[in-house]
Amino acid sequence: MTVATPRPPVAYPEPAGVDNRLVVGGAALTWRTLPTPALPDPAAVLARSAAHALAAARQHAVHGTELLLSTASRVDEAMRAELQDAGFTVTVLDDEGGHPSAPARPRAAEPGRLWLLTSGSTGRPKRVGHTLDTLTTVRADQPDRTWLCPYAPGTYAWWQVVTLSLTQPGQHLVVVEPDELDDWPAVAAAHGVDAASGTPTFWRRTLYRDAAALARVPLRQITLGGEPVDQAILDQLREVFPAARLSWIYASSEVGASIVVHDGRAGFPVDWLDREAPGRPTLSVRDDELVVTSPYHGAGLAGPVRTGDRVQVVDDRVLITGRLDSDEINVGGSKVSAGVVRGVLTGHPAVAWARVTGRRAPVLGRMVVAEVVLARVAEASDGDAHPVDRPAASPPDEAALVRWCADRLPEHAVPRRIRVLTEIPVKETLKSDV
Amino acid sequence: MNELSRAQIRDLMAQVLKNQDKELPADDAAQLREIGFRSLDFSELALRVEDETGEELNFDAPGLRRIATVGDVLDFLVELQQQ
Repeated sequence: MTVATPRPPVAYPEPAGVDNRLVVGGAALTWRTLPTPALPDPAAVLARSAAHALAAARQHAVHGTELLLSTASRVDEAMRAELQDAGFTVTVLDDEGGHPSAPARPRAAEPGRLWLLTSGSTGRPKRVGHTLDTLTTVRADQPDRTWLCPYAPGTYAWWQVVTLSLTQPGQHLVVVEPDELDDWPAVAAAHGVDAASGTPTFWRRTLYRDAAALARVPLRQITLGGEPVDQAILDQLREVFPAARLSWIYASSEVGASIVVHDGRAGFPVDWLDREAPGRPTLSVRDDELVVTSPYHGAGLAGPVRTGDRVQVVDDRVLITGRLDSDEINVGGSKVSAGVVRGVLTGHPAVAWARVTGRRAPVLGRMVVAEVVLARVAEASDGDAHPVDRPAASPPDEAALVRWCADRLPEHAVPRRIRVLTEIPVKETLKSDV
Repeated sequence: MNELSRAQIRDLMAQVLKNQDKELPADDAAQLREIGFRSLDFSELALRVEDETGEELNFDAPGLRRIATVGDVLDFLVELQQQ
């Protein structure tokens, strides 16, 4: 038996962005006109659609009820039970309203508390405590923008876009549902999207599917984050949008947004390391691992946080190459960064996407192998092909790609087996398993 | 069981070398050192055998041995498939 908690009285002032436009499921609304559901407190809301997730976020912004927001597909039975054990009423939110399951151990709510489930790239998702305030990292006045929000509801990246729109007037949102994701450029062009934030996988996939459709979106701000950002994807986006501001952001549920780079280059300047400034994160490297001390950290994560991300200093830049536990491949005692090899492969003009892994092998223990998706050859034959479409040359075979890598990498880092896939694999978090 | 013959493994070995613009001599007694077939190449060949057969080789099973000639490589991989 569950208890539907009545809507508590308004406890917070309307957020400053309450009259910003929202386009969701094809309907144009504003935060103010978005229907807000009555939610239990504390609630773990599993939203059936993007609109339901926005409604839960708005409800939290106005009433401050304790909220963990996710999609139903990211929370399995074991996680539901874990949330109920932790005192949450697990509520599936759909067009008919909330469908609550009572907590195993009811407890008092913590006003203003927001919970994130980490994306689980380190194993099982875990809860990280935030508030709307610690999730709001863009505070300076911004030029008016209409943002695309392609992220899964409740992820750190989703909250970044949502808090921007909730707290800043003139920051409108166009939300795409997962089933619209492949055609987002058409939706975005129709609604005047001029700013978009996505993972490198998201951008690669978009360029791969239909670069011409992407070029029709009048983007002035392009943001990448959530995965290692290599030079090749930045260059490809720059080619399509020469005048746009091209930014990449390093952010995580644990340490918040900590690195923002606008110069169109992969990595960040080496002189940003160990620089302390009030209100700003301090970045350090310990044993090839990025360590961040951040004012935007999650609850209980004050002080230096080992991020689990591997870094490599190349010339004057600090490159973030991937997760420590999966980035390093030991080939007969020589350490190889999967991220560096991936960067070389995606630097090949005919490669749209690459995944680099270690594979069990005799003598050396492990060997570097790769999977790639080749860029589509331009369909236009009138000589007016879009700049990112490739010339209609024959696609490179495995041997040609191996030679490309051999010219650019130490011998033990060259992937010897390269499999060609027909489609870029992507998870709900818009990340690849890289 | 989808086992490769010695001749098929020899073809794969030739492919590994050809990708590096090297040639596999016809003589099984040819020294690996002389033809430039090294640990990385051996590992690649083993992965190719796995990919062809769709079966994982059990690298831990056989004891250490000296692999110095083309024939040693072929014998070893034929044997590995039977583990």
